Amino acid sequence: MEPTPANLLQGTLDLLILKTLSLGELHGLGISRRIEQITNGTFQVKPGSLFPALHRMEEAGWLVSSWGESENKRRAKYYRLSRAGLKQLRTETQEWDRIALAIAQALQAS
Amino acid sequence: MLPPRWLSLLWRNWFHKAGLEQELDEELRAYTELLTEEKVKAGISAAAARRAALLEVGGMEQVKEQVREVRVGAMLETILKDIRYSIRLLAKHPGFAVVAVLTIALGVGANTAIFSVVNAVLLRPLPFKDPERLVRLSEQSQQGPGMSIAYPNFKDWRSENTVFAGLAASRFDNFNLTGLDEPERLQGRNVSWNFFDVLGVQPALGRSFRPEEDSAGGERVCVISYGLWQRRFGADPQLVGRQVTLNSESYTVIGVLPQGYRYGTPTDVFTPIGLRETDELFSLRDNHPGIYAIARLKPEISLTQAEAEMKGIAARLAQAYPKENAGHSVSLMSMREYFVGDIRPSLLILLGAVGFVLLIACANVANLMLARAAARTREIAIRMALGAGRWRVVRQLLTESVLLAILGGACGLLLALWGVDVLRRASLDIIPTTADVSLDRTVLGFTLLVTLLTGVLFGLAPAFQSARQEPGEALKDGGRTGTTGVARNRVRALLVVGEVALSLMLLVGSGLLIRSFVRLREVDTGFDPHNLLTMHLTYRADDDEDGQKGVNFYDEVLAKIKTLPGVEAGAVANGAPFLDEYDTSFEIEGRPPASPDQRTYAVSYSTSPDYLRALGLRLVRGRFFDARDTQQTPPVAVIDEEFARLYFPGADPIGQYLAANPAEGTSHVEIVGVVTHVKQFGLDVKEPIPAQLYRPRTQIPAQFRARTNASASLLVRTTSDPAALAPIVRRAVHEIDNTQPVYAVNTMAQILSDSLAAQRLSMLLLSLFAAGALIIAAVGIYGVMSYSVVQRTHELGIRLALGAQPRDVLRLVIRQGMLLALAGVAVGLIGALLLTRVMTTLLYGVHPTDPVTFTAVSLILLTVALTACFIPARRATRVDPLIALRDE
Repeated sequence: MEPTPANLLQGTLDLLILKTLSLGELHGLGISRRIEQITNGTFQVKPGSLFPALHRMEEAGWLVSSWGESENKRRAKYYRLSRAGLKQLRTETQEWDRIALAIAQALQAS
Repeated sequence: MLPPRWLSLLWRNWFHKAGLEQELDEELRAYTELLTEEKVKAGISAAAARRAALLEVGGMEQVKEQVREVRVGAMLETILKDIRYSIRLLAKHPGFAVVAVLTIALGVGANTAIFSVVNAVLLRPLPFKDPERLVRLSEQSQQGPGMSIAYPNFKDWRSENTVFAGLAASRFDNFNLTGLDEPERLQGRNVSWNFFDVLGVQPALGRSFRPEEDSAGGERVCVISYGLWQRRFGADPQLVGRQVTLNSESYTVIGVLPQGYRYGTPTDVFTPIGLRETDELFSLRDNHPGIYAIARLKPEISLTQAEAEMKGIAARLAQAYPKENAGHSVSLMSMREYFVGDIRPSLLILLGAVGFVLLIACANVANLMLARAAARTREIAIRMALGAGRWRVVRQLLTESVLLAILGGACGLLLALWGVDVLRRASLDIIPTTADVSLDRTVLGFTLLVTLLTGVLFGLAPAFQSARQEPGEALKDGGRTGTTGVARNRVRALLVVGEVALSLMLLVGSGLLIRSFVRLREVDTGFDPHNLLTMHLTYRADDDEDGQKGVNFYDEVLAKIKTLPGVEAGAVANGAPFLDEYDTSFEIEGRPPASPDQRTYAVSYSTSPDYLRALGLRLVRGRFFDARDTQQTPPVAVIDEEFARLYFPGADPIGQYLAANPAEGTSHVEIVGVVTHVKQFGLDVKEPIPAQLYRPRTQIPAQFRARTNASASLLVRTTSDPAALAPIVRRAVHEIDNTQPVYAVNTMAQILSDSLAAQRLSMLLLSLFAAGALIIAAVGIYGVMSYSVVQRTHELGIRLALGAQPRDVLRLVIRQGMLLALAGVAVGLIGALLLTRVMTTLLYGVHPTDPVTFTAVSLILLTVALTACFIPARRATRVDPLIALRDE
């Protein structure tokens, strides 16, 4: 049986995108594939969620986009982290750790 | 503050949209191509890969729309787009738009107009400094609160209390202003020196009174109103310090009040009350000469605390002066309660009524929108299929309804402008004079709020219902008969039931008021108010200590009036129904004297002999006064039937003796006649003192005559229209003495009618609202039934084709409509039973659950509903089975 792709928690997608882009510049499909890869296929990001998130984060100033040439020599839009994005990644990572820890403790408490 | 980044993004998204869109398109295309290539690499044929990629993207347009929605300013853009679209749509269906806008305009207009009155009367603070600290005081006797204060009691209250920052007395007085080109009768007040300080009013010119001026030896000074200053003194800035002649005495004007000053009925002259404190009227503790007091609570003192202390003081006074004060206490009321207490229930009921009208209007527009939404099922399904989210559709539909509401609200505001004007003129005497009815910022805010709420309210149900549909379903068979259709019909039916129920409650309310009003009109006044002219005379002259000059004046006036053509009888009186009242204590000779707190009172009338004929009183027994009764003959009195019933039950009062007003020393008065009881205080007023006592003016002791002559009613019974005779009678009086002002000229019929002005206005307004509600509800029923017939054309066609008679179809449709109406009536009756209780204070002679009203109103409503069903039902019988079936 295939693992069912989990629904992305609100805010989790932002964190995943930030994390993905911290490793380098990527285009839309690249981001999608990288997320699949680093989460072992748990998260599959559909364009209906990906693109609104990318555009929102770009308007928020976390991402910077530029047009470049893809691996197949086509024009594609590439995204990378801005300085503000890097800071955001740190903040959200800490926040995530704190929540994950809290929930883990809560679940062990019983 | 908006961050600049936000602004520049807004700028970009707004003005460089084409570029953005192109980039987005390119970005998504690149994504799809990359995806396709990925799949080709995995070994799928090019065409299949492309198809799979497109499927995975899941609709380019939908993705684009989702991206657009996260852009800065997207909300603004969609709203504008929605508004543009809505306007186009409304312009395409002008009939619907006009009906909806007018319905809302009616609801919003009525609400705004009534709310402007509520705002002016109940919400806006009284036009005084810290008005919530102001209190009004009166004495309280066995018969209840509201008795005027004896001046010595007032002085004791003032010196003993510790709860008021200021306590001031005030009473009405009249002044004849002479010495200018034309004499004028002025309404005035005798007030304590600190009266204006308590109210927190500063004179615009000059000063207010000083304590030393508020005493018997004080200089004669007066403060005048801004209006009088303008009208009679040409706004002379040098007036302060000048002398004016009031009641033949010279007064120095020391101040002019500011323009907006208002307290109770308009008054023009104010003199210190202390000037008259040695006057018997003021110096005796058992005289209650129309004095009421106002006070300002000290900070930190509550009305309850003040009341407790004042009650204590009054109790001590009652002990100290048992003869005068036994059984007397004090009553306190906040100033607001005093001014608006009477009118509050009617206003709140009217506000509730217009609220109902607005709800009915909302229900009706919601119904119209639902019908339209049904016609738009396809359009909405296509929009959703093209990528519009449910929320997006709801927003679009809500924009439409809010737009309609704003258009309706704007028209409603125009309507309210006119309505406020009409209301202001119709309610001059009803609304407290301290209130200024106008459309101010509060009212406009209220209107805006009501308008927006209306838009959301009537838009919500249709919007959600449209958004709930499944696009596939709707597109499949043209949306003719889907499940949503059934749900929509259920909502429409519920809305109609609600409309009918609300209308019924309004109709019951107005029905009850109409019945009360009819009852009031039928009340027997005890006298004949038709063809009766009334006016007020105030005879004053120099060196007329014993009042003989005045007596001669009135005799001459009566003699002259009797010769005028069209005059049947004329009379002079102190005390007349609806005009002015006096009361007197009395004792019946041969019975043990009552203790002071058990003293008996009667309304007293001092009349000339023809009073019986002039008023049209009926003589029950004995005789009325005539020329026989003079200063030299034994004193006589006439009593009314209530007096006889209360004090001589089962016995003949004729020939019994009274001591009337022992203070004045009139004893051994023989009762010579009994007349009918008159309604002295008003048609709907429970009389505080029911017994009535008549005395001939010819027997008034000489020392009291000047006082009674100074204020008397002239009553003239005419053979034709009394108003036409008014100038003739006035001229006749002036021919005898042209220095005597004649004022308050009116017909008794008019006075009676004016006394019902408040009831008439609330009755008319509520009836107007109920009628409006009835019409809107009828349109609602008609709309629903028409729509239902159209929807059922197919079914009705089959029925007819299978042999149903037109009569059966008629019955079928009418039954469906009448079931809704009956449900509405049932709900409305329950609501009315619960709600009419709040109207109790407004009703006269009718129980709030009056079965006649409830039945009649239900029948009216059902008849209207039947008519509204009948038209679409008739249309249903004309369905051609062939056409109906071919349609499918």
